[in-house]
Amino acid sequence: MSSQPSLLPRPRTLRQENRRRRHWPWWQWLIGAVLVVLFLFPFYWVIVTSLNSPNQVLQFPPLFLPHWQWVNYVQAWTAAPWLRYFANTLFIAGLTTLMVLVTSLLAGFAFGMMEFPAKQVLFAGFLAIMMIPTTVLLIPDYILLRDIHWLNTYWAQIVPFGASVFGIFLLRQFFLSFPREILEAAQLDGASQARFLWQIAMPMAKPALITIALYVFIGSWNAFLWPYIMTSSPSVQPIEVGLATFLGTNGTDWTGLSAAVVFTTLPVMVLFLVAQRQFLAGAYAATGGVKG
Amino acid sequence: MIGYSRQRRIVPYLYLTPAGLIFLIFTILPAAFVLYISFFNWDFLNSAMSKFVGLANYQSLLTSGEFWHSLLVSLYFVIGTVPVGLFLALSIALALMNNFPGRAFVRLSVFSPYVTPVVATSIVWIWIFNPQFGLLNGILHSLHLPQLGWLESPHWAMIGVVIYTLWHSLGFDVIIFMAGLSAISHELREAARIDGATRWQEFWAVTWPLLSPTTLFVLVVTTIGSMQAFTQFFTMTEGGPLSATTTVSYLLYEMAFIFYRTGPAAALAVILFVIIAGLTALQMAVTRRRTFYQ
Repeated sequence: MSSQPSLLPRPRTLRQENRRRRHWPWWQWLIGAVLVVLFLFPFYWVIVTSLNSPNQVLQFPPLFLPHWQWVNYVQAWTAAPWLRYFANTLFIAGLTTLMVLVTSLLAGFAFGMMEFPAKQVLFAGFLAIMMIPTTVLLIPDYILLRDIHWLNTYWAQIVPFGASVFGIFLLRQFFLSFPREILEAAQLDGASQARFLWQIAMPMAKPALITIALYVFIGSWNAFLWPYIMTSSPSVQPIEVGLATFLGTNGTDWTGLSAAVVFTTLPVMVLFLVAQRQFLAGAYAATGGVKG
Repeated sequence: MIGYSRQRRIVPYLYLTPAGLIFLIFTILPAAFVLYISFFNWDFLNSAMSKFVGLANYQSLLTSGEFWHSLLVSLYFVIGTVPVGLFLALSIALALMNNFPGRAFVRLSVFSPYVTPVVATSIVWIWIFNPQFGLLNGILHSLHLPQLGWLESPHWAMIGVVIYTLWHSLGFDVIIFMAGLSAISHELREAARIDGATRWQEFWAVTWPLLSPTTLFVLVVTTIGSMQAFTQFFTMTEGGPLSATTTVSYLLYEMAFIFYRTGPAAALAVILFVIIAGLTALQMAVTRRRTFYQ
C-alpha cells in the first residue's frame, strides 16, 4: 500500500491496526495452537508408536511417551527389500522429473513465445487433458502396456507421466512475461533457438522449474494406484507399493509398521521442510488459471 | 512469429511433439479405447475373442444395485469432503490472515500432511482409529463417552475416511484461500469498515463475492479429487465393511482388476468420466451467475 501524504487525517488501515496491536488477542493464539496440534499430532503419534514395544502399544488407554525401542526399526528394515524400493523410487521419480522438465520447457516455450496456426486450440486441448482422470485410464493403459511388454518395468511408471499439464501451464506463464528484447538480442547475436532455450531462458526459469520438479518428484514418490496395478515384482516397485505390501503381510505388527511409515516418509518430509517456500509457491501457482 | 524464416514454420509443432505424443499415446487414445471396450464383452486374456454387445454393459450396470450403491457412497464422501472441507479451509484461512507471531509455523503445519504419501499416513490413521487400542477411543474413554468401531463399523467407516482425507488435503485449500484473500484489495474492505459495516457484514458484502473465483476453483478441484480418491479406501477399509465405503472409483478397481469384468468396468469408467465432467460443468454454470471476476 502506498502512503502518500494527505492533508486530511487518514483513517487507520487494517494493516496499521494490526501492527498497532502489540499483543495479539488470546483467541488467535488458541486457534493457532489447536490447528498445530490437530495437524501435527499424527506425526508425533506414529513416532511414539514406532518407539514403543509391542506390549506397550497394546495398552489401553494408550501411552503418550516413547520408550526408545529402536529395535523396531531394525526389525522392520530387515523384513522387506527397502533399499531396493528406495533405489527404484529414486530412479523413477528422478527420471520422470527430468522428462517433465524437458517436455514442459519445450511446450511452454512454444505456447508462450511463438505464434502459429491452431495455437489456442492446441493449448485448450492440452488443458482439457486434465479432465481425464487416471482411474478412467487404468484399463486401456493396462492393455496397452501389456501389449508393448511394458508391464512390470520402470518405463511403465516413467514415460506415461513424462509430460505434465501443470508444468506446461507454469512455463507458458513464464514465457508470456519473458522480455522479448532478450530473445531478439540473442537472435541478433546469432544464437540458435536451442541455445537461447538452454543458455538464457532456462537459467531465468529456475524458480518455475524448481517448483515443477518438486511437485513431480513428490507426486512420483507418493504414487500408488498406477504402479500397484502395472507392476508385480519388488525389483521394479516403488516405496509406497512396498509399504502397502508390508501392510498386507505385517498388518498386525503396529510397531514395525509405524517404523516403516517413519523411514519411508522421512525423505519426503525433509524435502518439504528444506523447500517449503517453493512448495507454497507451487500451490499459489496452481490457481494461476482461475483469475479471469 | 518473432523473426524466424518461413521454412521454420514447422518448428513450434516440433517443440510440442514430445509432450503431445505422451498425451496422445497414454491419455487421449486410451480414453477413446476405454469407450470402445465398453461396447464389448471384452476378453481380458485374449482381446481377439471379445464380442460386440452394444450397450449391454451399460444396461447391466444401470440396473445393478452395486452401481447405484457405489454412487451413493461416492456422494456421501463428496459431501463429507467438499462442502465441509470448503467451510473448514475458508475458516482456517480467515483465522490465519491476521499476522501474528508463529503464523508461518501454523500455516506450515496445516499444509504439511498434503505432501505426505497417502499409503503411509493412512496407515497412521488406521492405528489412531483402532477400536481396541486406538488413540481416538482412548480419548472417548477418558471423556466417559461410548467408544466407536470406526473403520470396522459400517456406520462410522466413511466418517473415518472423510476425517483422514480432510486432515491430508485441507492444507492445500487453505493455502489457495489465503492467496485469494490476500489478493482482495485492502481499500475495499476498509471502505466497508469506514461505512460502518461490522466484520460479519464486511465479509458477506465484500470478501465473499470477491473471493468467488477462488471458491469456484477449490470447489471444482476438490470435487474431482474426491470422485477419484482411491488409495485411502484401499488401505483403510478395502471398500468395506459391507461395502459401506465402496465408491465408484473403488468399484471400478474391483470390477477391472479383481473380477476381470473388463467390459462392464470400462462402461463404469466412461460413466465416471461423464459424472466428473458433468459435475465440473454444473459447478461452473451455477457459480458463474454469482461469481465476480476481478
